[in-house]
Amino acid sequence: MLSAQERAQVAQVWDLIAGHEASFGAELLLRLFTVYPSTKVYFKHLGFCPDETQLLTHGQRMLEAVGVAVRHMDNLRAVLSPLADLHAQVLRVDPSNFPLLIQCFQVVLASHLQGEFTVEMQAAWDKFLTGVSVVLTEKYR
Amino acid sequence: MVHLTAEEKAAVSSLQGKVKVDVVGGEALGRLLVVYPWTQRFFDSFGDLSSPDAIMSNRKVKAHGKKVVNSLINGLKNLDNLKGAFAKLSELHCDKLHVDPENFKLLGNVLVCVLARHFGKEFTPQE
Repeated sequence: MLSAQERAQVAQVWDLIAGHEASFGAELLLRLFTVYPSTKVYFKHLGFCPDETQLLTHGQRMLEAVGVAVRHMDNLRAVLSPLADLHAQVLRVDPSNFPLLIQCFQVVLASHLQGEFTVEMQAAWDKFLTGVSVVLTEKYR
Repeated sequence: MVHLTAEEKAAVSSLQGKVKVDVVGGEALGRLLVVYPWTQRFFDSFGDLSSPDAIMSNRKVKAHGKKVVNSLINGLKNLDNLKGAFAKLSELHCDKLHVDPENFKLLGNVLVCVLARHFGKEFTPQE
């Protein structure tokens, strides 16, 4: 699991995102849909070509959930349980898509944080998001 | 086989002209070795890889990263014949180095992050 240093790195990055959940989330989704168009099948409710408002709304929702995960790194299973149920029973997102989302998240962080995006931050954040995705897909079977 | 559209080829070529090969290659390989430490298995002869600082400042990592990016740039000059351009390297990585192809995806992903880090907002989703 995450070391104390890795948790600090995750929290440090989150401090830079907090307050900008909508714009970060929208960019994350835009990058995901542009680079990996097959992921759009899971967002049919946003329409074939989601507009900016839809991306901002849904992006904010996703990033707020990430924020919850950041604040409860010791207790991910409990706090993410409703989302895990949602992904298992309703959304049924193929687990292979989570690394794609994580990659896009890293690109968004890198492009916004640039010089501040250290290799330690990248490693910690990758480990953290992978942990989140494991919890979200745990109830699949 | 992946086929790039004319727009994609143009976007890739324009980015290539702005890339500092010396810096980007070493950083990409270094970040790969730190973020996905199991990839270190291919670089036993590279010396000190014991910490992120050691990896990012390792001369062999920087030199090899530069070599990798130079090969990719060579590929950019042969976008219509990528198979031919990379045939020898492909054989090397398969028959001698025995690199799991999954690792190429990881390095590619890290390289994209490094480019995003350097170009910031200029690095559009299309690029």
